[in-house]
Amino acid sequence: MAISRRDFLLRSAGFVSVSAMVPRWAVAGTKVFEESVGAEAAGRTLVVLELMGGNDGLNTVIPYTDPAYPQVRSRIGISQASTLPLDSRLGLNPVMTGIKSLWDKNRVALIENVGYPNSSLSHFTSRDIWHTADPALAQRRGWLGRWADAAIGNSDNPLSCAAISQTLPRTLLADSVSVPSFVNLASYTYTTDGTYPGDRNNQLNTFLLESSDEYEIENTMSEVTALGTAAMSSSTILQSVSNGYVAGGQYPAGTLGAGLLLIAQIINANVGARILYVTFGGFDNHANEDNDHDGLLQNVSDGVKAFFDDLDAHGKAHDVLLMMWSEFGRRVQDNASRGTDHGTSAPHFVVGDAVKPGIYGGPPNLTSLDSNGNLKIENDFRSYYGTILSDWLKADANAILGSWPNLGFVNKGYV
Amino acid sequence: MASINWTRDAAAHLLRRAGFGGTPAEIDALYAKGLEGAVSSLVDYDSVDTSAYEAALAAKNYNLLTLRGITTWFLDRMAFSPRPLEEKMTYFWNLHWTSGISKVKGVTLILNQNKTERQYALAKFDDLVVKVSQDPAMLVWLDNWLSQASKPNENYARELMELFTLGVNSGYTQGDVTQAARALTGWTLTPRSYTQADNYNGATFQDTPAIHDNGSKTFLGQTGNWTGYDAVNIILNWSDSKGTKSGRFLSAKLWTYLAGTYPADFIVDQLGAVYDSKAHSVRELVRAIFLSPEFYEAHTRKTWVRSPVEYAVASVRMLEGSTDFGSAFNSLSGMGQVIFNPEDAKGWDWGTSWMNTGTLFARASLSNTMATNRGNNGTRFDPNKLLAGKDASTADKVVDILADRLNIADVTPDVRAAWINYMNANDDGSRGNWTNTAANVDKKVRGVVHLMLTSPAFHLA
Repeated sequence: MAISRRDFLLRSAGFVSVSAMVPRWAVAGTKVFEESVGAEAAGRTLVVLELMGGNDGLNTVIPYTDPAYPQVRSRIGISQASTLPLDSRLGLNPVMTGIKSLWDKNRVALIENVGYPNSSLSHFTSRDIWHTADPALAQRRGWLGRWADAAIGNSDNPLSCAAISQTLPRTLLADSVSVPSFVNLASYTYTTDGTYPGDRNNQLNTFLLESSDEYEIENTMSEVTALGTAAMSSSTILQSVSNGYVAGGQYPAGTLGAGLLLIAQIINANVGARILYVTFGGFDNHANEDNDHDGLLQNVSDGVKAFFDDLDAHGKAHDVLLMMWSEFGRRVQDNASRGTDHGTSAPHFVVGDAVKPGIYGGPPNLTSLDSNGNLKIENDFRSYYGTILSDWLKADANAILGSWPNLGFVNKGYV
Repeated sequence: MASINWTRDAAAHLLRRAGFGGTPAEIDALYAKGLEGAVSSLVDYDSVDTSAYEAALAAKNYNLLTLRGITTWFLDRMAFSPRPLEEKMTYFWNLHWTSGISKVKGVTLILNQNKTERQYALAKFDDLVVKVSQDPAMLVWLDNWLSQASKPNENYARELMELFTLGVNSGYTQGDVTQAARALTGWTLTPRSYTQADNYNGATFQDTPAIHDNGSKTFLGQTGNWTGYDAVNIILNWSDSKGTKSGRFLSAKLWTYLAGTYPADFIVDQLGAVYDSKAHSVRELVRAIFLSPEFYEAHTRKTWVRSPVEYAVASVRMLEGSTDFGSAFNSLSGMGQVIFNPEDAKGWDWGTSWMNTGTLFARASLSNTMATNRGNNGTRFDPNKLLAGKDASTADKVVDILADRLNIADVTPDVRAAWINYMNANDDGSRGNWTNTAANVDKKVRGVVHLMLTSPAFHLA
């Protein structure tokens, strides 16, 4: 932060009122904020949707004309007749009518066979690799955390990045940017004794002072301490974003729909949010996948459709790009438990007005597999990330990820 | 060897780590036993009579057929059992290989897993690994009950090595995972039609030769017609020049859990040697940790971030509160830990990953409930009881009494001053002068307890 917490508190003689914690740009809208970072991409938001557990790419985007498909997926395969065709070789799972309608409006780029060399089949290792964009796991910070440190590390905007998640995704772990995490706004406030409302400001101010100790060495105590101020300043702003909000889309019931609605509300509040992250779990379908996976996909598809309907209704879609990822795809051959074990590469979707629509790579080759029976990688995930960093966030992808080919899925008009 | 400076602070530290914190009287009693006596009183807990506590617990009638019931029952044990380490270790195993109700469905299966983890909490590690590998909730959670010779399911075999016994970088291969999965085929449930969730509370382990893969397997360098027992045995005795890999893996994780910091290599070496020489005894491993000089050094104090469960339990235990743990149960989701329902097999990351702005507010909400509940039900504490018999005539004195009780008297002078100023502040923020009246205790002592429970210092044990 440019202004230390202690300076901030000391500047305001004695106790500060909590309204004083609202930064000036939040009052003036995004204009001041844009000036502070000085880039034309400053009004753009990247939404990241993480599908936790390893989404089965082969039952999401189906190589429906490949004669090998019904053989390797004899138990849980999607029938050719029900597939929603994207082209003559690939089609969507039939529950994904929402994504299909976005595809029909040229708002979807599909990146096929994304992964990294020598894939880890461990959820946890692979997730950390995707979070840090570093297969060697030498990086502590996440790939978007590194972006945030470089691009907005001097901003005191408490909502430049936010996660709709119970825990902070490592993708957003940064050195100089605090990222609030929450799942709903009603409880996103410091509660105090209802019996003595007159004492509330004293409590809030004391809580801020408790959170104001500064430490010369980063340690557990300093990390926990820094959260208090970030929590209070983001809470003050967030408490108003849902006031009078009328959603312009039919969000599905459940946590993903609620999370995407919250993201739409934050975008529409013009608080300078650059990265908004939401997680959705349940994709580790080792068994009974045919019962479970379609429901998850439908939730994703309906949720993303509702989100863009909502952005359209508010005239915001131009400024938003949504990307999805999952830590790996799944084994080509289904297992005897009507499920699939851990695999390697998978297709991922990028959605928004800015995409150059189409399919990048693929279809997956179901007969040329690695020694574990898994797909071979075609597009390195750092190419996937790098294209978004350089073409959507207008950042130096090379400095953050190293040099990787640009996949070209962001429309020239936006680059 | 460095010596250990056994002080009352050291005793308080030990009680925070071997249990969930203590009252001043409990800390005094532990301190009086001396180092070895104190450690033994915690570690050799089989001699501690629990009959009175078990009777009191039973009288509370937690409904053990519901997730709420088994969660609050477990929280009660953590807060009030006379064997704090037994619950601290049961909780360790719960974090280590918990199974999630969302997939397992049967509440009784989850409860039985918790009971198994308690029964074997300090046992020979091999016995616990076999028991958990055959535990019905685990068989469902990681799919081994479905695994059969014709199509082995790798899910459990992988996590057994990666998460539970060896670690992902210990050197096994995907081939070893596949072979271990073959060895573990046949460890399944009876009856074998796991479809009606709630009926499945009656499912039990069964070793079923008909679906076991009887072929030869080469696994971690050894070839034979291995069974599940063989697989566990081979894994736990897999060694390099430093001894068993399982011993080093478990030592590092237990040290992190109990000492609140990542272990230096020499500590892992020492503890791994204890594990190997004491027949894989978890009890001796834990005893060695609590008798290690490094455990008491300054850099291990106040480094363990209390998990949401520990936060809820410690506040009740250290304030001598009363509770049905209903508010704690309701808060767990917001605090980021629905115990018995982790999102994946790894469970939760520890440390600062518990803490973010959202979970911070959720903790503040739970502690506000406790601090301000003036009724006769739910989670509450008695501010007058904490001040009774002490000189509580000024704000300074009250702050010091309460900070000592919560083991956070070591905060910076600025934070102590902020608490004192809070107590003295009028509603408009101007400086007043707190005096010990019933009204002022009700307002400001409750208020400052809430502030202390939400201070950075109390999130660390």
